[in-house]
Amino acid sequence: MSQNKFFAKGGDKVTPENLGEAIQQAIEIEIATIPVYLYTYYSINRSPDQDAISGSLVQKLVAKGKTAKEASAIALDLSAELMVFSNKAGALIMSVAIEEMLHMALSSNLKQALAGLPELVGKSPSVWPTCLPGHVPPFNIDRAKLSQEQLMTFLKIESPDPLHDPKLLQVIEYTTIGKFYEMIVDCIDNNDLQYRTFLPQLIEGKGYYAQNNIDTVYYDKEHKPHFTNQDDSGDLVYIRDKASAKKAIMCIVEQGEGSKAPGLNPDNSVNCSAVVPGDFDDLSKKELSHFAKFVEIYCTYKTLNARFQSLDIGVKDINDYFVVNVAKNPLTKHYPANIAPVSELLNAVYTYIFVMVEDCYLKSGNTQWEIFMFGIHKSMIFILNSICGDIMKLTYTGPDGEVYSAAPTFEDYPFGLLSSPKSQMIDLFNAAVAVYPTISYLGQRIQDLPDVPLHN
Amino acid sequence: MAIIKYTPNLSLCGGSAPAPSAAPQTCAPASAPSIELHVCMGLNACKGHDRYGTNNCAGTGYCATAEQHNCQTLNNCRGQGGCGLYGDIEQQENPGNNECAWQGSCAVPIQAERFRTLGPERGKSVWLQARKLFVQRMHKAKRSYGDSPFKCGPPQNWLISVLGSYDSCGNSGDKVCSFGFNDPDDHAKKLCEGEKE
Repeated sequence: MSQNKFFAKGGDKVTPENLGEAIQQAIEIEIATIPVYLYTYYSINRSPDQDAISGSLVQKLVAKGKTAKEASAIALDLSAELMVFSNKAGALIMSVAIEEMLHMALSSNLKQALAGLPELVGKSPSVWPTCLPGHVPPFNIDRAKLSQEQLMTFLKIESPDPLHDPKLLQVIEYTTIGKFYEMIVDCIDNNDLQYRTFLPQLIEGKGYYAQNNIDTVYYDKEHKPHFTNQDDSGDLVYIRDKASAKKAIMCIVEQGEGSKAPGLNPDNSVNCSAVVPGDFDDLSKKELSHFAKFVEIYCTYKTLNARFQSLDIGVKDINDYFVVNVAKNPLTKHYPANIAPVSELLNAVYTYIFVMVEDCYLKSGNTQWEIFMFGIHKSMIFILNSICGDIMKLTYTGPDGEVYSAAPTFEDYPFGLLSSPKSQMIDLFNAAVAVYPTISYLGQRIQDLPDVPLHN
Repeated sequence: MAIIKYTPNLSLCGGSAPAPSAAPQTCAPASAPSIELHVCMGLNACKGHDRYGTNNCAGTGYCATAEQHNCQTLNNCRGQGGCGLYGDIEQQENPGNNECAWQGSCAVPIQAERFRTLGPERGKSVWLQARKLFVQRMHKAKRSYGDSPFKCGPPQNWLISVLGSYDSCGNSGDKVCSFGFNDPDDHAKKLCEGEKE
């Protein structure tokens, strides 16, 4: 586990002198969550084969003495529950990942206005398991498939209350992400800071951020769509003064932890009795915080597992039905020769998204808009998402002898300085398509990307 | 093998401007007359301007003349993008009415089942919005128009039967599949009547 230092300049308080480092730390906290949530997201098959699930259940139930009619009725109901749950878990995790990207941009706006150019490239965790930079107590964060254990990690990340650590005797740096942001707010409140409004930021009203898309939608048993984010739940904020700076931070904290949500139980277990039912797609209610969304997934998962176990048909974990068997914390260098080049390309695309976001803080007007819409959006939806799906069709045998599906590793790709990142990405594409022609359709999409240089 | 080459002049934004190509020495003869490009059934402004060139009136065409594509940022030019599943509220209000290339936010053609994911009209039919914009345009142009072959746009299953395959973007599963206790016909009827999904 790697634990970055909180402030290079020392101190347990955010001051005008170390404000830039503190906000950079905030950016890196947000970035650290993105590969974790995305990795688990891609492990979920959001549209499993209901007929296969139902057929398997019928066989098991009949073997346990149910009549065919009884077995079919139970199997239909449970398989539909699984179909909804797998899709809902995916939608909720994606809705959180989207907001983490928003938080990264809000923190970057803060840094641009108050301290200097945000640094995003090369800031994804390089050692796994990782931890949140500066979080006390530190806890292991894995890139792992969906499981109750992984959801517990998500809950710790988003916990509104300090984690209960009986061994905690050292000086507290920050115990929740919200408390960390409080320190930044205190500094903003108590000092007459200069706001560098002449520099480009990613601002609202340009279509850069959309709260929902089809990937944050899931269907209930009656196939009615539910929207997991609210249109008014948050947006980019142009940081121009104290009020806008605090508005951006409030958005980050409320979306993450919620304003008054109860946290984990004293023994760090989850209080499932506090789950709020429903999905709040009407305007009179409010969107669930990240913490509450993960509580909802965790508790639904637990209830469904219990229902399956009560049938005594040998189902230990429902994730067998809809979660792809990916390894924990895989690295590209451990993949075989038919997968590693594809993983390298995937990592380059992932890293190039950060390169383009950094560039948006140096460009304004139409140039910024084009980089964002035709570079970042296109990369996320049409290249990264596509290649994530494609790589998972490949399998390999791990050191433990088990067969795994290859997974996106979301490692920072070390672009060299001798040629442009885009030209290097094209070389990687050519190497990848040579071993995996399935991805040939991505060539034109990569070719269409803007040609953006490295900065920091 | 789909090898591609890096060319700095291909940079469309964010880098230096492409070098202008040399002017042609002679004008090539015009090919067949162009037809207006539109994104779906029932959105053609002129006779003979559907995919088959056989429709007899505005608004009655069977299929898109714009290039088929399956998601955001893949439309070729102005007015050739679908919308609905990605993009911001403004984009979702303007299916087939985008200003420039790559500004559409979803697939073309627009299946009847597609709904909007943002804004006050969230959950409502995308095709009906596209048809509404088309009707407004016809009124402004003082032109008559006919009924669409399907009242609420082409159903996905029909598109698959005609096109061989059809894919719009997204990971949340197929809207017309039958899991759970789904009644696709009832959903389609409600969407067609302007109700929210």
